[in-house]
Amino acid sequence: MELSLLMHKLFAATLLCILVCSAAARAAELHVRVVDHKGKLVSDAVVLATAVDPRNALRAKPATDAVDQVDKQFVPYVKPVFVGATVRFPNSDNIRHQVYSFSPAKKFELPLYGGLNAQPVVFDKPGVVVLGCNIHDWMIGYIYVSDTPFFAKTGSAGTAIIADLPPGEYAVRVWHPNLARTEDSTTRRITVTAEDSTSAEWQLDLKPNFRVPRVSGAGSAAYP
Amino acid sequence: MRSTLASLTTLTILSAAAHTARADWSLAAAASANHDNNVGNAQAESDKVRDYAASANLSLHELIPLGGGFGVAVGGDLAGEAFDRLDGLNNASISGALSLKKKWGLGAFAPWARGQFSLGREAYQDGYRDATLYRASLELGKRVDERWNLWVQYLFERRDASPAPQAVPGRSSDAFSQDGNNLAATVEFSMSERISLTAGFLWRHGDVISTSLVPWNYLYVAATAIAEDPTFGPDAYAYKLTGTTYGVKLGAEFFVTTHSTIGCSFQHLETQANGGNNYLKSVPEITWNYRF
Repeated sequence: MELSLLMHKLFAATLLCILVCSAAARAAELHVRVVDHKGKLVSDAVVLATAVDPRNALRAKPATDAVDQVDKQFVPYVKPVFVGATVRFPNSDNIRHQVYSFSPAKKFELPLYGGLNAQPVVFDKPGVVVLGCNIHDWMIGYIYVSDTPFFAKTGSAGTAIIADLPPGEYAVRVWHPNLARTEDSTTRRITVTAEDSTSAEWQLDLKPNFRVPRVSGAGSAAYP
Repeated sequence: MRSTLASLTTLTILSAAAHTARADWSLAAAASANHDNNVGNAQAESDKVRDYAASANLSLHELIPLGGGFGVAVGGDLAGEAFDRLDGLNNASISGALSLKKKWGLGAFAPWARGQFSLGREAYQDGYRDATLYRASLELGKRVDERWNLWVQYLFERRDASPAPQAVPGRSSDAFSQDGNNLAATVEFSMSERISLTAGFLWRHGDVISTSLVPWNYLYVAATAIAEDPTFGPDAYAYKLTGTTYGVKLGAEFFVTTHSTIGCSFQHLETQANGGNNYLKSVPEITWNYRF
């Protein structure tokens, strides 16, 4: 009887192992290319894939990430993170910055600091968090807090790859800081398979990127 | 010379103090070329002198954020201007400035105010115009959104020149010293991602200098000081008058990179001075700006 129970346990463990290994082996990739309405490649677009089948919605462990400040700019300009992520704000400039956000997804303020002296911030609510510096008004950056662990950001080639996707059907959407329409309006159903990587292309309507200028010859400005 | 040295010393000490406090350096350079259709501020058509001028400016400031929305900036400017025909107006200047800024709230759209005092020295090729400059200003501003930016400025300026040799017995010859009160309002609008438009409005009341080749009676009667002004010719005289100037300036800027712009502007000024000496002036200009 005991031997039979042991055999059952061994069988179950082996089966689980095979299932897990095969799932890993069968992980798929989604390749996305993003262009604007003129066909120009779009960088800094966040592509997000939400599993339609809840069994594929793996719970990822929230990560630790960083948004730096270099030459009075946020680097990177857009940072996607999974909900619950802890983000550090190192300051690589040899001056002090005062980072803040008014966004509903995360309101915070880091008092004037230099180097690595800022407290990390936990982003525990999905949504877009707009970053600013109260000293240098032209500094702007974005943290996209994703509600799905499957996301990627487009580079200068306008492409993003979401790897390690369990095969299945996904609701895929794209967000960009200058998106003219709602993020939901970009949603498409895409099925990814284990055999091949799946490719898709988005054409986004982007609005002009009006930003506070760093330099102005108009005679005066709020800086210095 | 003494005030120049004092400006430099103050600037150096304040810059050193700021540097030790992990300050924020801001180095900016600018160059421009303009055409002035009435350099001597003359009313009579026969007195009007037109000229082209090119100028360059180098500006170094340190911003020291103090917390609580306050910030101190200390710095200075080096500038030069060269005229095409009126060589005597070629000049170089140096100035030091100290300002205190307050921002009410966080972010680019928070209203702000800045008080500034500056001390400078101008040296001309024709040295009788050399002067020490004192300026005190108060600015208030608010960026309405990403596209609209507004600010107003009150500026008091004093130009302290050495009195010229007496030209008219019994009359002051301190024609190149001036006081002025200025009010200016500027609106900036981003037309596209790379082009911004500005409109500025100016009101100024104070001393103005009109130079004339003819000894017009109305100038002679109204002038508070008279001096020879050989820059404009051997028979030219400068008349210091009290006047009010109204001006408008329209400009456009193109953002070449995030650090630099090129632009053009057109300024039109109308002055009503004592004695009925009313004159007009128009100055189209092209500019280049760079901030490191």
